[in-house]
Amino acid sequence: MRVLGPLYMAFCVVLLALPIAVVCGAALNGGRSMFFPPRDPTLARFGEFFVSEPVWTQALVNSVIVAVGAALLAVLLAWPVAYLLWSTGSKLSRTLAALGSMPFAVPPIVFGVGLGFFWGFLGGLGAIWAGIFSHAVLLMALPLVTISIGLQGIDRSHLDAAATMGATEAVTFRTVILPQTIPYTISGFFFVLVLSFNEFIVMFFVSASGFATVTLQIFNSLRNGYTPTMAVAAITFIGVSVLVFSAVARWGDLPRLMGADQSRN
Amino acid sequence: MTAVERIEAEMPDRPARARPTPRRILPWLLSVVIGVLCVVPFLLVIAISFGRKIEGAAWQWDFTLANYQRFFVGALWPDEVTFLYLQQLGFSFWYAVIASLLAVLTALPFTLLLTRLSRRAQAAWLVFILSSLSLSEVFIVMGWDILLSNNSGLPALIKSTGLTQWLKDVGWFQTLRDWGLASPRNVKFKTSQFATILTMSYLVWPYAVILLYPALSRLDRSQSEAARTMGAGGWTVARTVILPAIRLPLFGSTLLLFVFLLGTYVAVTVFAAPAQHTTAVAIYSNIRGANLNAPFGATQAVILLLAAGLCLTLGHRLNRWAEAR
Repeated sequence: MRVLGPLYMAFCVVLLALPIAVVCGAALNGGRSMFFPPRDPTLARFGEFFVSEPVWTQALVNSVIVAVGAALLAVLLAWPVAYLLWSTGSKLSRTLAALGSMPFAVPPIVFGVGLGFFWGFLGGLGAIWAGIFSHAVLLMALPLVTISIGLQGIDRSHLDAAATMGATEAVTFRTVILPQTIPYTISGFFFVLVLSFNEFIVMFFVSASGFATVTLQIFNSLRNGYTPTMAVAAITFIGVSVLVFSAVARWGDLPRLMGADQSRN
Repeated sequence: MTAVERIEAEMPDRPARARPTPRRILPWLLSVVIGVLCVVPFLLVIAISFGRKIEGAAWQWDFTLANYQRFFVGALWPDEVTFLYLQQLGFSFWYAVIASLLAVLTALPFTLLLTRLSRRAQAAWLVFILSSLSLSEVFIVMGWDILLSNNSGLPALIKSTGLTQWLKDVGWFQTLRDWGLASPRNVKFKTSQFATILTMSYLVWPYAVILLYPALSRLDRSQSEAARTMGAGGWTVARTVILPAIRLPLFGSTLLLFVFLLGTYVAVTVFAAPAQHTTAVAIYSNIRGANLNAPFGATQAVILLLAAGLCLTLGHRLNRWAEAR
């Protein structure tokens, strides 16, 4: 067991990293086609992706706009629901939380189809703001969970103390509740940011070829075969994910957010 | 809190109560926003699934069961019966069941080992797991596609190392061909069920770790230690102490991943043979692809949703029943 355990973990990691490593390696190719191991290695593809090829730079800009917008909106939508759930625990608040999490729980293609019709009627199909709303609703479940975890961690005696000292609800909210939940709100924001960045199928239906994010652009280019520039996109995305989650782990309590037992370690 | 304090605490609220306060408007506003954004899209899918396609044009509202009939027995029923669409749903289920089981069973020992590390090490591992979890389906499929493609990747490696020749000499090559994993010249993984299921399983593997993590990290380690002191081997401990304690989360995670995988699109289009495509691919081709029959696409989406809902409800019931026992 003592040897087998680490060995198994190593095996899992190698398998998990294998396709990622292959994609990363392929980004260094000098030519127009993907080879692994890379031939004629160069970093020119990075320039193409970030600077010189408008197809990719535009897609990257779209991805960033959608991800940041969706993350902000998702947090704004999730906060009142989580707060209502925590402060009242009423039936209505529980229903709202359940409905808000529903899009995340069903197969994403079904919600994508639904949003496709929805924006078709509202005239938002193919518009980037519709994409932002779509991702915000799809991923709202994540900040809902992280903010709820944060709110549950608040010591109720602090609230009583604040009330005893004559603080209004608004003051208590600003001075007690908000500061304690900010790390969890930010974690929720980043979870949405990263998942929106990488989401494909819902955006596929909502964009209706009106705009392209990086993942859409890659799928569109699959037909013409892979190019090393696509691998650069992959590297960028992995880099962003690692950075974001490291930040969450550094400034927030990642094991707790993931539901680890508090009493240990 | 004494009664006086309680009154004092509630005082600031009092004068505001007559006016519409944010506290009163908020639930209503939220209900409307969430109702419109989270519920209406699903209602639209259901409503449109009863609609009718007009040849050469889009579609119109209607209330016809023709789409559902077409899904289960074909459009020309009762003269002709085809189970093509049911078969696609069958493939959706088949891939999703195997891939989710594979992911959970291989993630279980990994997660168990993970929870025994120090808090700092756990956080580092979680960063890695979460990063690979959030990695887009498109990139994952691209990676495996390069790895499994016939001209580069594993098949080329197998051929150049002489493994193909060895397989032919031993006679196992024919077995691989029977399984659809080899062409007359060399092993091949595209297109095959093996590649489809492998990629789908890879897709949800980090999710499996994340879903199992809370239950496993709450596992009472003293029980395992007690069993060990009484002389039970590692395998016996796993079977008699750990497994019964995590039976429910194990089952729940598999179910969630299964439902998630029912809608997989990219992996199936790239790795599965056209005859073995799933309902998700059919939905796409009806709504945005070549067929352009939105009502029928909506019907397939509704059936996929119902199938997912049915599985979740059944799982929930089973859980309750197991807990009650």
